[in-house]
Amino acid sequence: MKKGLVVLLVVAAVAIGLFGWFKSNYNNMVKMDEGVQAAWSQVENVYQRRADLIPNLVATVKGYAAHEQQTLEGVVSARSKATQITLDAENLIPEKLAEYQKAQGELGAALGKLLAITENYPELKANENFLSLQSQLEGTENRIAVERKKFNEAARSYNTEIRQFPKNIVANLFGFEKKPYFEAAEGAEQAPVVAF
Amino acid sequence: MKFRLVSRLYQLVLLLLMAGSALAQVPARPQPQRLVNDLSGIFSSRQVQVLERALADFADSTSNQIVVVTVPELYGYDKAELSYEIGQQWGVGQKEFDNGLVILIKPKTATSNGEVFIATGYGLEGAVTDAFAKKVIEREMIPHFRQDDYYGGTVAALKVLLPVISGEISTDKYAASTDDGVLPSLLFLAFIGFVVFVLIISSGGNNQNMGGGNHRGGKDFTAADAFILGSILGNSHGRRGGSYGGGSFGGGSFGGGFGGFGGFGGGSFGGGGAGGSW
Repeated sequence: MKKGLVVLLVVAAVAIGLFGWFKSNYNNMVKMDEGVQAAWSQVENVYQRRADLIPNLVATVKGYAAHEQQTLEGVVSARSKATQITLDAENLIPEKLAEYQKAQGELGAALGKLLAITENYPELKANENFLSLQSQLEGTENRIAVERKKFNEAARSYNTEIRQFPKNIVANLFGFEKKPYFEAAEGAEQAPVVAF
Repeated sequence: MKFRLVSRLYQLVLLLLMAGSALAQVPARPQPQRLVNDLSGIFSSRQVQVLERALADFADSTSNQIVVVTVPELYGYDKAELSYEIGQQWGVGQKEFDNGLVILIKPKTATSNGEVFIATGYGLEGAVTDAFAKKVIEREMIPHFRQDDYYGGTVAALKVLLPVISGEISTDKYAASTDDGVLPSLLFLAFIGFVVFVLIISSGGNNQNMGGGNHRGGKDFTAADAFILGSILGNSHGRRGGSYGGGSFGGGSFGGGFGGFGGFGGGSFGGGGAGGSW
């Protein structure tokens, strides 16, 4: 009888301990998952910010360099392609992120081309509005780099958390999945060089 | 003492982590914390004092933290990246407002260009837009920097930045103004008078806030320094008096009416700002 009580107490203690362990790990994973999602929405914000600058930029350049039609159209179509791909923070899978990154990278490349040809138009380069847009664009590229880095950092610490033994048991049980990263810059992904 | 040791250890661990993840090393957060960090030695010690005092006062009264960092090199970073890393790692600005600003200056040398960058914390991106920062650099800083007048360029930039950051003038107003600076008003003159007055009073040997080798206290100030200090702060103080001593800033260190810098607040940066080179 007494022995049975002891066993019962031990089982209860283990159960309570286990519950506490699951709970704290689970809650921590939820918190980190939220962190990754917040970082992702910042990434989307800064890409959106770049997209928002483009119509104004294209209009300004057109005023001075109307016959650079091809380059201008390249930017406009790359923009519309890039803005079509939106990626829900809940649905971050590697293929989707790669697709998103590729579209944004193409937009970046098209913008780089556009800025390169503006070099040939001294009057455009003296335009107040253009200069302002150019510095905003440059700042936005910096923001993109920063937010991507922050996203990767958040994803990395989340991934480390869910993949370590024995926490991976909790992660598997509740379906926490690995988050993808932004890949390092390849040719097309490089920020357009804004020369002054 | 024990606490110190722990925080040192923590810093060490942080440093090691950073060394592992980054390709290069950002200058460590100054100890004691200060707003003017002349790592490349382009300011005289008196100039450092004037700037530190102006910025500490501005931080006290508006909670916006502006840090001036001069570096001998960019440590393998891009200037934008380095400014952002400094802002982020030092925690410039208040945590809840992210209202920090980093002004990075790398002087021109025989072998390399001069570089300057103004990085804005998240919370100041609205007040100091990229285009505005660019303009301040092109119009106020680089003309002085070209003539090796680093102090003059920094003072000129602060004169424009402070009122904008504290919300007293809009960037449009600056854009529309001539190169002569903004709002040289009667109020401004009155303020200089006030500053000179305060400095004279505070130079009366009140030095208990000199602790830790900080550039504080007023005994070395001349009227000329006071004039420059006044001109930096002049445009940004509509609401003086009563706003001192409130809240969390370095309790008890308001020796002569001007507080020392109470410490970085943990603000965050998102890559905003603009740069230039010459």
